[in-house]
Amino acid sequence: MTLPLGQQLKIRTMIYVAGEPIPFFWPMRSFIHHNPLHGLEHLPFPEAVATGAQLFHGRGFLSRQEHQRYLAQNKVAHTALVAGIDEFLVQQPSIPGIDLPHWLMTLLTRTTQPVMRANTLADANHVHAVIQRTEHLDATLDPDTLTAMLHDSLLGACPLYEAVDRLYGTGIGTELDELVIKSCLDFFDEGQSVWHMPGRKQGLFSAWRELALRNARLFVRGLHIERILENEPHPEGVIASVMTELGIPEDKWVSCFSRELSRLHGWAGFIRWRANAKHYYWGQRYPADLVDFLAIRLTLALALLAERSRQRIATDRGALENLIQTRPRETWLRHELHSGAVLPAYAQRVEQTLARGRAKPIEKCFDDFVRAKCHHDAEDQATRLQQLAATADASTSLEALTAAQLESLMQVLQQFEDAEGMLWLRAMESHAMETVLRDVNLAPPAPRDKRPFAQALFCIDTRSERIRRQLESAGDYQTFGIAGFFGIPISFMELGKGSEAHLCPVLLKPKNLVLEMAATAPEDVAATTALEKVLHELKESVFTPYVTVEAIGMLFGFDMIGKTFMPQSYNRWRQRLYRDKPSTHLLLDKLDREQADSIVRAVQRAVVAKAIEQEFELEPEAITDDMVRELREAALGHAARAPALGEALALTPETEQTFIQRLRSVYRIEPAFAQLQMEQLARIGFSLDEQTNFVSQALHSIGLNREFSRFILLVGHGSTSENNPYESALDCGACGGNHGLINARALAQMGNNPRVRQRLRAQGIAIPDDAWFLPALHDTTTDEIKLFDLDRLPSSHVVYLDRLRSGLTGASRMCAQERLPQLQLVPEECDPAEANQHARRNAMDWSQVRPEWGLSGNAYFIIGRRQLTRHLSLDGRAFLHSYDYRADPKRRLLESILTGPLVVGQWINMEHYFSTVDNERFGSGSKVYHNVAGRFGVMTGNLSDLRTGLPAQTVLDQGHPYHQPIRLITVIEAPYEHACRAIEEVATVKNLVRNGWVRLLIIDPDKNTAHIYDHNDWQSRSLSGSNPDEQPMESTAS
Amino acid sequence: MQIPAYLLIGLFLPLFPLSMGFNFVLGRSRYALLRILLLLIWPQIGLTLLQTLDSPVPDWVVPLALFTAALYALRALALRDVGQWSGFLATSAWALLWIAIQGDVTILQLHLFALGFSAPLVLLALLGAGLERRFGAAYTGLYGGLTESIPRFSAILVLVVLAIIATPLFPTFFIMLATVMQAVTLMPLVAVVVAFVWLLWSWAGARLLQGLIVGPTNAEGIFDLNRLATGAYALGLILLVAGGLYGIGGLL
Repeated sequence: MTLPLGQQLKIRTMIYVAGEPIPFFWPMRSFIHHNPLHGLEHLPFPEAVATGAQLFHGRGFLSRQEHQRYLAQNKVAHTALVAGIDEFLVQQPSIPGIDLPHWLMTLLTRTTQPVMRANTLADANHVHAVIQRTEHLDATLDPDTLTAMLHDSLLGACPLYEAVDRLYGTGIGTELDELVIKSCLDFFDEGQSVWHMPGRKQGLFSAWRELALRNARLFVRGLHIERILENEPHPEGVIASVMTELGIPEDKWVSCFSRELSRLHGWAGFIRWRANAKHYYWGQRYPADLVDFLAIRLTLALALLAERSRQRIATDRGALENLIQTRPRETWLRHELHSGAVLPAYAQRVEQTLARGRAKPIEKCFDDFVRAKCHHDAEDQATRLQQLAATADASTSLEALTAAQLESLMQVLQQFEDAEGMLWLRAMESHAMETVLRDVNLAPPAPRDKRPFAQALFCIDTRSERIRRQLESAGDYQTFGIAGFFGIPISFMELGKGSEAHLCPVLLKPKNLVLEMAATAPEDVAATTALEKVLHELKESVFTPYVTVEAIGMLFGFDMIGKTFMPQSYNRWRQRLYRDKPSTHLLLDKLDREQADSIVRAVQRAVVAKAIEQEFELEPEAITDDMVRELREAALGHAARAPALGEALALTPETEQTFIQRLRSVYRIEPAFAQLQMEQLARIGFSLDEQTNFVSQALHSIGLNREFSRFILLVGHGSTSENNPYESALDCGACGGNHGLINARALAQMGNNPRVRQRLRAQGIAIPDDAWFLPALHDTTTDEIKLFDLDRLPSSHVVYLDRLRSGLTGASRMCAQERLPQLQLVPEECDPAEANQHARRNAMDWSQVRPEWGLSGNAYFIIGRRQLTRHLSLDGRAFLHSYDYRADPKRRLLESILTGPLVVGQWINMEHYFSTVDNERFGSGSKVYHNVAGRFGVMTGNLSDLRTGLPAQTVLDQGHPYHQPIRLITVIEAPYEHACRAIEEVATVKNLVRNGWVRLLIIDPDKNTAHIYDHNDWQSRSLSGSNPDEQPMESTAS
Repeated sequence: MQIPAYLLIGLFLPLFPLSMGFNFVLGRSRYALLRILLLLIWPQIGLTLLQTLDSPVPDWVVPLALFTAALYALRALALRDVGQWSGFLATSAWALLWIAIQGDVTILQLHLFALGFSAPLVLLALLGAGLERRFGAAYTGLYGGLTESIPRFSAILVLVVLAIIATPLFPTFFIMLATVMQAVTLMPLVAVVVAFVWLLWSWAGARLLQGLIVGPTNAEGIFDLNRLATGAYALGLILLVAGGLYGIGGLL
């Protein structure tokens, strides 16, 4: 039976909506930092955190203890805590005898554990009785309340099997997850497995269906999949039939689908991304979407429920409803036992009573248990309140409260603890904002009498802040911050690779293709490479590994010893075995029609020659140009025959025609394919206009349009680490998780093009003839900066290279000296050379789980002149984007910075935030247990959800946060009106600011004022040097 | 006269269904000291009674003993209460003494075997009492991640469970090894069943630890073993290893 098209579309739409809160997960080869709650960004931050916590079962804020650690380290503004408490209390009733501000401050700063209990049976009267040491009140649970509680917990939005698990401890959810993960691993494998799942080209559901119908293991386990699948060939039909069979009303389907998807949100996020990534090779080849995924999940869920139903337990919604209505006490006891809420002292009795199944003992057990639990909860709650009161020196006040007053107090405390996370967060942000406001320099830069020795454009990445500061202190260097793709979205095809990589933020889709071409003649494959290929094939075969291990296992042992005990010298020796990558050039200029046509013709001729060679086994010297030309013309339909070949080989006309036909069908020598090739070639390179615009845009956006130095370094960045699936997370986010070198080379090549410079001059950017754009790569793990394309450097510049190199080396070493103590690899007082040595070793150590801290610690996004923060040490915590509002009267450049770099910065910040506050759920846990899955992700252990987010080693230091989780504090140096209007123009950023996903701070250098967006309003204050705590905040007239 | 005597002995060297007696008594014992005494004395009574009989053990006892051992090992897989788990493991282990009796083992060795099975269970009884003091019950699945909240206690618990499930170096390992080796020569099929029971113990031990040791912790304000107690447990474990290597192991 096939579902009508309308129904199918309806189900697809429902799943699309249900999948919206699930964040994309990009393959780890190009790790993309993203906000795990990106799908909830339309909500205000606190609301989104609450929804996310419900959906993903993750915490949205640090624990109180961690916040107190920050308070002790003076990283929390105490005044902001006081203000937050006052603000909270405005809406609360006063309680006689209770100094609420004092109580709440005591709770925040001197109590480590939550005071209010969740899910308690004891009300204020019970707690009051305990505090007053009067007789315990009797505890009962009336049937209506009980039924309502059970309905809420079991028949709400949770999947049915979760309800069954909570009642019977059946573990269906875990088993279902395992089965789905195994199916996903089979289907989505990208070359890690030697044997592949058959039928993958048909798509996920079809391929899985074919296998599942013949899967003996499922059959042996008693999962009769065929009964569910036999009548439904399409996934939508399967979904509809399963949901109907489970008795779930249609109005609950969307929420139910969301819960299903969020159980394995890593896999769901990967599938969701994959289905949307039109260019993704594996996605094109083996299609899959969330509908397929959900159909598989629901089919297996129904099969598992059917299998468990043989144990005579309720496994459909109707049966559960009936159970709640007819046997609420037993159901509640079951729920308590299997959800882990039972009092430990009662666990065995409850389990045994339920196992015997007799009504009277169950009722007795229920009554006893309710009484005991109520007493336990009341005692526990009273103890917590008494401890709080004692800490606040107010024990007598607590004892003097009536039951009604105690109830009010408990409500206030409950609401306060619910709102506590935001209060701490705002106080930490307040401190961070005060720090930057206190130290910024609004004075205009001093006029220079000569141009700087070199100017360097670095990525806005937080790791550039340190190296920029060190370079500036090393000599006459001027540095700028710009998004690491230098404003050029490139689709790049590397030398020797067959696929394209997008070197730009994921928000952009590059239109232009850049090819890397060897500048030297091709060389033979190195012996080492050939040997490695043989070894790889031996390992992948079924039987050979046994022999291989015996025969040459020792070699791998040497490899292991070398990598472990002498990583630096061993890796250096190994690298010598491989041939260096040849010198290359980038194909950047657009081909004109004639050039493209010539290339297509050349390719066609080469293919025809090869076809003759293969089909007729002719030697190359026997193939004449005439033969090739005639055959090509005939294949393209420009001629009827190709007599030269026929004559040379004495072919019959039929054979000749057959070969011409083969040239069309097999070798694709035909007009349509030629047209396609022409279109592909049209993507290569950039037109002169495009090149001029990219260079102009890049220079304008950072305010560099005059006083050009002799060297203008374009410094991309990347990282080096061994045995690290997260290597790409340490590369350039603005380049789509790749090294930034190619973009730097491309911009340098464009900027050095005399024709581009000529056009730039017409736009008012006069680049002197002796100014040279030089690409470089900053290795963020070792802090080294390496120069590239030196073969193109004019001879007039060679004499200055030594000075440039020594400046860069000095900056690198100083940077390593500053950074390495934070990695706890060297002592605080190590010298630069020693630090540099350690950094290099660290990059080659395959046992190192933390090659660098990466972007951990990010807190600020500063858009303004370098002068603003040049004198500050921001400890690698700031994204620095150069911007001069004076060069941007129409705000286009600012809007462009807000649209791209700021949004990427916010993703990075939120990824770090959530990975820190709940590393197990939003992060990826410890790296130690990670295994690479399918070559695109990692799992914990051998089977788990795909781990999204950042590992513990990236954001935590010995179990405590290294990254201080605060929202990105965006500082714009510009007149208030100018900045506000730019924000209003960029809808995405406007929403992020209004919903509190970033904190915005405008520093108006003209008026010497700061404007902070807070509580849906702009607050302004003067920056004239007095104590910030005493500065009045005024609402800014909008 | 012989059958009633064996039935009486079957109560102390547990044979199903008489084995329920021991588990009933153990389940009713609220005090750790009483449980320890039961664990130590119960099989010794059985062996002492066995000495009073001068006839060989009847043939039907061996399959019944194997069935008892396998049944309780299998049931231990699903148990969450630590006290009950130790009772079932004790029943399963002591039932295997009937197999050892069939071989060339002296009565002194049999008493040592029984003691070897009981000793780690005594340590578990003490640890179970410790869990009850800390959490209200020694019950898996209600609280986990002990390795984070009480690391010393967790380490001792893991080692004690390893001692119970007959991991190498502990006396239980040598007893099981001796039992299997004897059975291989006399009754190969019995050896297979004994090995199967051994496997079930390992599985049951892993499940018990899985429910307690690993996973996220939600324990607040739980105190770990102090150094003295840790040292005492460690000493107990060292004595067990020494007893295994030089005592029971040395006898074999």
